[in-house]
Amino acid sequence: MSHLKAAASRTLQLALVLWAVVTILFLMFRLMPGNPLAAYIDPTFTVEQQEALMAQFGLDRPLWEQYFIYLGNLLQGELGQSFRYREPVAERILALLPNTLVLTFSSLIIAYAFGILAGAYLAWRRGSAVEQAAIPLVLTTRAMPEFWLGMVLLAIFSFWLGWFPAGGTRSAGAEFDSLFALYTSGEFLTYLALPALTLAIYSQGLPLLLMRSNMLDVMKEDFVTMARIKGLSNWTVVVRHAARNALLPVMTSFAIAVGYQLQGNVVVESVFSWPGLGRELVNAVSASDYPLAQGAFLMIALVVILMNLVADMLYTLLDPRVGHA
Amino acid sequence: MTETFLSVRDLKVSYRVGRGSLDAVDGVSFDVPRGSIVGLVGESGCGKTTVARALTRVMADNAFISGGRMLFDGRDLAALSERDMNALRWREIAFIPQSAMNSLDPVYTVEYQLNEVLRLRGGLGRAQARKRCEELFEMVGIEVGRLRDYPHQFSGGMRQRVAIALALALNPKLVIADEPVTALDVIVQRQILDQLRDLQRQLGISVILVTHDISVVAYICDRTVVMYAGHVAEQGTMEATLTQPSHPYSMGLRNAFPDLQGAASGVLTPIEGAPPSLADPPPGCRFAPRCPFSIEVCASVTPPQVEVEPGHFAACHRAGEAPALRERARHVSTWMAEA
Repeated sequence: MSHLKAAASRTLQLALVLWAVVTILFLMFRLMPGNPLAAYIDPTFTVEQQEALMAQFGLDRPLWEQYFIYLGNLLQGELGQSFRYREPVAERILALLPNTLVLTFSSLIIAYAFGILAGAYLAWRRGSAVEQAAIPLVLTTRAMPEFWLGMVLLAIFSFWLGWFPAGGTRSAGAEFDSLFALYTSGEFLTYLALPALTLAIYSQGLPLLLMRSNMLDVMKEDFVTMARIKGLSNWTVVVRHAARNALLPVMTSFAIAVGYQLQGNVVVESVFSWPGLGRELVNAVSASDYPLAQGAFLMIALVVILMNLVADMLYTLLDPRVGHA
Repeated sequence: MTETFLSVRDLKVSYRVGRGSLDAVDGVSFDVPRGSIVGLVGESGCGKTTVARALTRVMADNAFISGGRMLFDGRDLAALSERDMNALRWREIAFIPQSAMNSLDPVYTVEYQLNEVLRLRGGLGRAQARKRCEELFEMVGIEVGRLRDYPHQFSGGMRQRVAIALALALNPKLVIADEPVTALDVIVQRQILDQLRDLQRQLGISVILVTHDISVVAYICDRTVVMYAGHVAEQGTMEATLTQPSHPYSMGLRNAFPDLQGAASGVLTPIEGAPPSLADPPPGCRFAPRCPFSIEVCASVTPPQVEVEPGHFAACHRAGEAPALRERARHVSTWMAEA
């Protein structure tokens, strides 16, 4: 019961945060210099189109009235019409979101699986030559800019060795019945490999270093010493007790990283011409496609907020002390 | 006296510090008769916990046994291979830690942690382990229904009971209790000590109880080993060492604690000064710099263990004059003057 109650109160908090984000977006696009109508209406639209949009978003009404119309539209998933694509923003975003999520999750899962294992290993081998060589290496990968790393990988594996395609998600002319068919095709993996690897290399430092330092702390805990006095095997002591406890903050950081990663995607998606939300956002901003930019911002904020909720819930699930308090 | 079960002889435990090493335990010898509770007493840093941990051979990373023997039921724990030592851990030698809060893993239920020991170390099947868990909880007086609770859901006293249940899980022969009641209030202390003693008698196990609290020793122990700066100052039966202390340090300790029986013994008298640095211990008797009765020989010659009466030893050059010194030690002025 207490879990449900906690989840409900967290959800309410997040709804409030979301409302704040939505309000800021509303004001931001209306406080920009120039005609506020520019946020929704492109001069090249036909007169009928312009009038329909004016009515839909109440652009001829006072600001406060517009605000409520805007909220009402949002609740119905109505985000306006993209200037460039001449199609509803919501449709455009929903079409791109899966590509971004696949890239984000695949790279983060690789990064976290590797980071957790390597971090635990390095903590266990503290003071060894392996550890002393590994830490600077990890810090170096963490310090490399993603776009640079992406271009280096492209240069080596795509242009020079020719192992992987240079960008996109599929070869020209290839058709798939569904997104699922696309994502499960072998060809897709070759497209996914380089951008996912770039993001994974960039992201693995955080879980690795976090896991390592947590492990070092937990290994000093009395219950780990007790596990040894109990004569439990090294594996049981290190994995079931030390790593299990050290994992808690790392798992939470995973959920937060998903949100954070969407920012990183903006860069990597551009480098690899990946048709995702991040690249679309950059294009929309540079093309002054305000409705699309606004929608993309909103979607990214939504994912970040949702993942924060997931992080909280994950902690409640993984750590019995949370939620009972 | 009954048969000796554990016999520690000339035990030396050292810590690597910087480039050198420091002997935290320096030639400690004592015996644990089968089925008795032996109190290891002394102030912080005297080496009592180091002795306790040496018996498990799970020590700090920089600690190592640098000499001596620990004869446990005929086997020398100091000489066993790690594999053989590990076979003894928990099955024959169990441990009750000071803080059960930190020594229970917070993310697993108490049942899980009991099961872990019962199944991985005791080789019990699922059903047997389940039954044993309930048995153990009944033994230490906790509702069986609370097995599924997490450590943080128990009070301090309850957690200590869980720690006792955990220690008794595999019917060990020896239980080492490191300050088992120090973190508890006196009422709960008494309950836990009563329980520990009852179970110890019932099961016929031997217990080494590490404490800095003389009143705990007086309440529960059969024998006392008083440690000072890595040496044994005095040892003997609890009654003998507490009512007829023959080492000036034990005399001083007795003055520094309130009487557990509640008799108003007047003023508490501290022993002035602090224990010597173990990195550079003084020659001769280590207590000499703080001792109101020290004489010339104390500063240069390490005192031998003198048997003041059968089974009662004191490491003091003036152990022969103990009755007279005891009389003088009763007076506060004796201890003040030497400060």
